[in-house]
Amino acid sequence: MRAEQKTASLMAGPYAAFLLVFAVYPIAFALVLVFLQWDLVTAPTFAGADNIRLLVHDGRFWSAVANTFVFLSIHVPLQIITALALALALNRQLVGRSFWRAAFFLPVVISGAVVAILWSNLYATDVGLINHLLVKIGLSPVPWLTDPRTAMPAIAVMVTWKNVGFYVIIYLAGLQYIPRSCQEAIEIEGASAWQRFRYLTLPSLLPQTILVVTLSTINGFQLFIEPYVMTGGGPLRRTYSVVLYLYNNAFAYQKMGYAATIGVALALIIGIVVFAQRRLIGKAEAL
Amino acid sequence: MKLLRRIALYAGLTVAAITFIYPFLWMASSTFKPPVEVGSLALIPHDFTLDNYRTMWARAPFGRALVNSTFVATTITLAVLVFGSMTAYAMARLNFRGRPALNAATIAVLMVPGQLTLIPLYTLIVQLGWVDTYAALIVPYLFNATAILMLRQFFLQIPQSLIDSARMDGMSEPRILFTIFWPLSKPVLSIVAIFTFMGAWNEVLWPLLVVREQNLMTLPQLLTVFALGGGAGSVGVSLASAMVLVVPVVAAYAFLQRNFIESMAGSGIKG
Amino acid sequence: MPSVTFEHVTKRFGDATVIEDFDLQVADGELLVLVGGSGSGKSTILRMLAGLETVTSGRIRIDDRDVTDLAPRDRDVAMVFQDYGLYPHMTVRDNLSLGLRLRKIPRHEIDRRVAWAAGMLGLEPLLDRKPKALSGGQRQRVAMGRAMVREPKVFLFDEPLSNLDAGLRAQMRIEIGSLQDRLKTTTVYVTHDQVEAMTLGDRIVVLADGRIQQIGRPIELYRTPVNRFVAGFIGTPAMNFIEGTLAADGGRMFFSAEAARLKMRAGTAESSEPITLGIRPEDLRMDFIPQQPTHGSADFDTLTGRVVLVERLGGTSHVHFQVGPHRLMASVASDSLPEVGHDITAHVPAARVHLFGGDGRAIGRTAEIV
Repeated sequence: MRAEQKTASLMAGPYAAFLLVFAVYPIAFALVLVFLQWDLVTAPTFAGADNIRLLVHDGRFWSAVANTFVFLSIHVPLQIITALALALALNRQLVGRSFWRAAFFLPVVISGAVVAILWSNLYATDVGLINHLLVKIGLSPVPWLTDPRTAMPAIAVMVTWKNVGFYVIIYLAGLQYIPRSCQEAIEIEGASAWQRFRYLTLPSLLPQTILVVTLSTINGFQLFIEPYVMTGGGPLRRTYSVVLYLYNNAFAYQKMGYAATIGVALALIIGIVVFAQRRLIGKAEAL
Repeated sequence: MKLLRRIALYAGLTVAAITFIYPFLWMASSTFKPPVEVGSLALIPHDFTLDNYRTMWARAPFGRALVNSTFVATTITLAVLVFGSMTAYAMARLNFRGRPALNAATIAVLMVPGQLTLIPLYTLIVQLGWVDTYAALIVPYLFNATAILMLRQFFLQIPQSLIDSARMDGMSEPRILFTIFWPLSKPVLSIVAIFTFMGAWNEVLWPLLVVREQNLMTLPQLLTVFALGGGAGSVGVSLASAMVLVVPVVAAYAFLQRNFIESMAGSGIKG
Repeated sequence: MPSVTFEHVTKRFGDATVIEDFDLQVADGELLVLVGGSGSGKSTILRMLAGLETVTSGRIRIDDRDVTDLAPRDRDVAMVFQDYGLYPHMTVRDNLSLGLRLRKIPRHEIDRRVAWAAGMLGLEPLLDRKPKALSGGQRQRVAMGRAMVREPKVFLFDEPLSNLDAGLRAQMRIEIGSLQDRLKTTTVYVTHDQVEAMTLGDRIVVLADGRIQQIGRPIELYRTPVNRFVAGFIGTPAMNFIEGTLAADGGRMFFSAEAARLKMRAGTAESSEPITLGIRPEDLRMDFIPQQPTHGSADFDTLTGRVVLVERLGGTSHVHFQVGPHRLMASVASDSLPEVGHDITAHVPAARVHLFGGDGRAIGRTAEIV
């Protein structure tokens, strides 16, 4: 046991030390920073509840939170629908199934920065590909990223496009778990395609749907590079995300205490939202 | 009726596939087009040019960024594989005091959103004097809790008698890990390698915080700074710089497509 | 000089004591079998001897060397595992030779030993295959070969046959037995299967709850079990038991239970505690016609009951019958069998009866029959 203990501490010890320095300490220090004012140049000063008070009354923070909810209200449902539809299509006997799967998955492996730069060009008002298509079919061009009404939805559609391949894989895995006997049973009952989907497939995929909701929600709260590259948070701050605000407070304004406070608040909001979603889905399931 | 449905299915899939692939093809072709052609939907450039690449290469240190990204992502990946499997081996197969605590801490760490620790980690890097160093880009990623949990899960399924045999044969524990467990763990190791490399290769927020010196920037960071700072000047140049980042990943993806998809699905949390 | 010695060995996992104050000596060249049910501690004892499990207190010696704190590789023992523990990514040859290579044994010596073991076990044609391409019996042989090439002081077997089907198990049992006969290497063999224990062991250690119940040659355990546990554990089919009491009557001891009264051998001591009478199925002789309508004969050496089930196994058959509340079984030749529902009489030879006291210990042993 002594020898095993020694070997184990050599093998797992570095990780334990790493966790202390790069996980436990930052979590604890985040809670300390909430009560500090610190520009990283001069010594930190105790700020009491200033940061918290500021945050509560900070219109910019809350509008960033509101923007995120706008994003989520489009992104999450759209993500579920598109991922589910593609997964159901891919779950059939298909020629070149792995090609289709690979095609949908391609954007997942591409850096978000690249996707943002690419879509800035696709969305561009005058020379953008999308407007080019619209004009071709006789519609008028839309200023996607410069109109306050369309900017956030445009970003939400883009993020959905980027991530859908990942969620298709999750749904495909879930579809494999539906027992053949159940599918045959419901077919013998004479259910229509819609009924089979409504009463067998959809309920069976509930765990995957919960996962998709949770992951896409967390992902939505992490929105950063897209507005950073595409809109800078505009127009009219409508695409300003919480992480972008946090980043600017730390990097542009050197307000570490306040940036950390935003981080803690964001973590709390994520926790509450994810918890509420699970409760809601649980209730819906019980009905 | 049945035939019609199949035709509709394939038509739908084709349209979907085009929306996923076409933008990248358009991007690739635009980098070879002169500025006047960029707005066109055509994929074959009328006047083929390499000017965008020349301009991009001349204006910002993309070669250097490619080296930086490769070095950082490779180092992180190797570390996560070697250190991660050593940790996972101990956590899965050795008895030691603190093992339950380490397990619990690993799971707890995964539940804390990254935004909470972002600023404290940044201040830590500043205080360590690591701003504008490779250490800032690498050290916080040397261990990966997701990877450790995945490896641990896999190691738990390897029969105890293999460890016992190896010990009777006179192997040390690290030797058991690297000569017995590793050959048996190729699937999970490649999954971990791919998602770690991808994550490191594509990461942009962290480098934006801890690196300001152009010569130390990773590709996605330099690309972002370059595009935002107006250094590109034209769409073609900015897309050409994006290609430096995309081409290695797509090449690897083309070869290891199945592993890529499984690794992303397997990593779960990372997305 | 004993080859393996356990002295007051105790093993605890947390608060649970798995082995308590275990003492054992294994003679040089002996094949000793540790047998017991799951949770009896038999595997833990073997793994402590191998060095795969630490000892909480006490000492373990191999020859006269104290190995208690040595790593497995330094103990000069080799082990065969239940699921073989073959390295799946290595060929049979590499599996056999790895332990020798790690010990820096010269190349020609490794080749000699591998060839020797492969020849003995019939593995030559398989040397370049991987374990996946082998049958269960072949894997078993490779695992044995891997132990043999080490030429260790002690072989350890941990339930080596339990992953094999019945036919192969019988065959491998014979192979292990004859192999050990030829090699004369001290062997400790763990199994839950008492048939394996009886056929293989020079001596058997019966374990329950981390304690030794009895140590002895197979025939001793069969004929003179020291307690009710060993009596029930050793021997197939299992011994019949009847709960009752002993009482003296006219100078002889009688065993009495509901629907049963049996005369005991002369010299049986009187006892006031509750008694369990044990009789092996093969020691019962059977008459198809009840001698008397009442239970028991005038000589008080029979039990009368009704047949409830007859299992025909071929040469012998098992006749299950009910005597009052007691369900008994007799193992009899198949040439003439009673029918279900008929009454029978079973003779209980007093010399073959085992008696156990309230604590399960054998009393008034029938030790004379050897």
